[in-house]
Amino acid sequence: MNKTNKLTVPDLISIGVFTALYFVLVTIATFASVAIFPGFNNVVLPAFCALISGCVYTLLVVKLQKFGGISVMGIVMGLFFMISGHFIISFAANIVMGIVADCVAKVGKYKSKKWIILSYVLFSYGLFGPVIPMWFMKDAYVANLVARGKDAVYIAELFANINMVTFVLAVVATLICALVGGWFGMKMIKKHFVKAGIV
Amino acid sequence: MKLRLDPRTKLFLLLLSNMTLFFHVNLITEVILVSILLSLFFFSGRYKSGIRMTLIYGFMVSAEFLIIPYTEGVFLNFIAMFSVGIRMMLPCVISGAYAFSTTTVGEMVCGLRKIKVPECIIVPSVTIIRFFPTIAEDYRQIKNAMAFRGIASGKLALLRNPAQSLEYILMPLLMNSNNVAQDLSVAAMTKGISMPGIHTSMTELRMTAADGCCMLAGVMPFALYFGGVL
Repeated sequence: MNKTNKLTVPDLISIGVFTALYFVLVTIATFASVAIFPGFNNVVLPAFCALISGCVYTLLVVKLQKFGGISVMGIVMGLFFMISGHFIISFAANIVMGIVADCVAKVGKYKSKKWIILSYVLFSYGLFGPVIPMWFMKDAYVANLVARGKDAVYIAELFANINMVTFVLAVVATLICALVGGWFGMKMIKKHFVKAGIV
Repeated sequence: MKLRLDPRTKLFLLLLSNMTLFFHVNLITEVILVSILLSLFFFSGRYKSGIRMTLIYGFMVSAEFLIIPYTEGVFLNFIAMFSVGIRMMLPCVISGAYAFSTTTVGEMVCGLRKIKVPECIIVPSVTIIRFFPTIAEDYRQIKNAMAFRGIASGKLALLRNPAQSLEYILMPLLMNSNNVAQDLSVAAMTKGISMPGIHTSMTELRMTAADGCCMLAGVMPFALYFGGVL
C-alpha cells in the first residue's frame, strides 16, 4: 500500500468500485422496503440500507486508511443520487455526513473498531437525504388534499402525528441498524479479509 | 436527425426539475416542464422510454383529479402518497433518466472536466459506471456457485437465513471488487490517467443552438410562474 497520505488514482478507483457496490445495495434496499412495507418504505429505507451495507463501508475504510476516502464516497453517492433523480438535498446530506464520518474515523486513525462503527452510523444518516422530502413536502401534500376537497383538520391529524413519530422512529432505527451493520461488517472483514491477508 | 444535447445542458435541466420540488410550483408549471422534458425523449429517438414515462406521469396526474376526491380514510393516505408524493419527484426522475440514458461515459467525463469538477470526483464516478455490469455478472456467477453447492436454493431461501445470505453473496463480491479495483488501476495507469498536464479527449463538446433552446424552454415555465402568469 502507498505511503503517501494523499489519495492516488488506484485509491480513487477502489473508492469508485466500493461506492458502486454500496449504490447497488441501496437500490436493492429501496426496492425491498417498497415491496415489504409499502407506504412506510421511506421510514425503513435508511435503516435497512445501514443494516446490509456495513461490510462495504468498513472494508473500504480498513483498506484505504487515508483521509478523504469517505468524503469522496459521500460526494460521489450524492452525485449519483442527484443524477438518478433524487432531490438536491440528498446531495448536501451525503457530502456533509461523508466529511463528518471521515473526521470521526480519523480520530481512531482508521484502525479503531469503535470509531469506524461510529463513523459508519454517521455516514448512514447521509441516506436520509433522498428521504427528507417526504417530511419536507408535507405542506404540499396537505395543500393538495385540501384543494381536492378533503377536511383540513382530518388531514392534519392524519399526517402531523405520523410524520413526527415516524421521523424519530427512522432516526432510532437507523442508529440501531447501523450499529449492527457496522459490527457485522467488522466481523466479516476479520473473518475473511484479515485472514486472507488482503487488508 | 436525432437530437444530441451537451451533458452540461442535461445537468442544467436536472437542476431545473429539482427546483420544482424546492419551490413547490403549482401543477400547471410542473406539467409544462415535464412535457418539455418528455418531448426530449422523443426528439432523441427514445420512443419507448418516452412513452412509458408519459404514461406514468399522466396516470399520476389524472389520479389526483379522478381518484382522490372520491376516496376516504386510510386508503386516501396511500393514494395521496402515491399520486402527490411520488408525482412531485417525477420531474427529477424523468430528467435523470434522460441524462442517464443518452450520455456516453466519454461525454460525461468531458462534460465534468469542462465544468471543472476535480479529478478525484471524476475518477470514482466513471469507475462506478464501468463497474455496474461487472457486479451483475459476478452476482450471476455467485448464484450459480451457490446453487451448485446447494446453498439457498429455492424461492425464498435467501430470506430464510438473511445473515448467511448476506455473507455468502457479499463476501465474494467484495473479494472480486478488490481484485477488479487493482486490475482497473493498472489498466488506467497504463493509459496514463495519472499523467500531469491537460488530457486530450476523443469526445469534443460544444454548446449548440439546440442546447440554448432547451435551456430557454426549461427556464420559461419558471419565469411564467414567478412572473405570476401561471
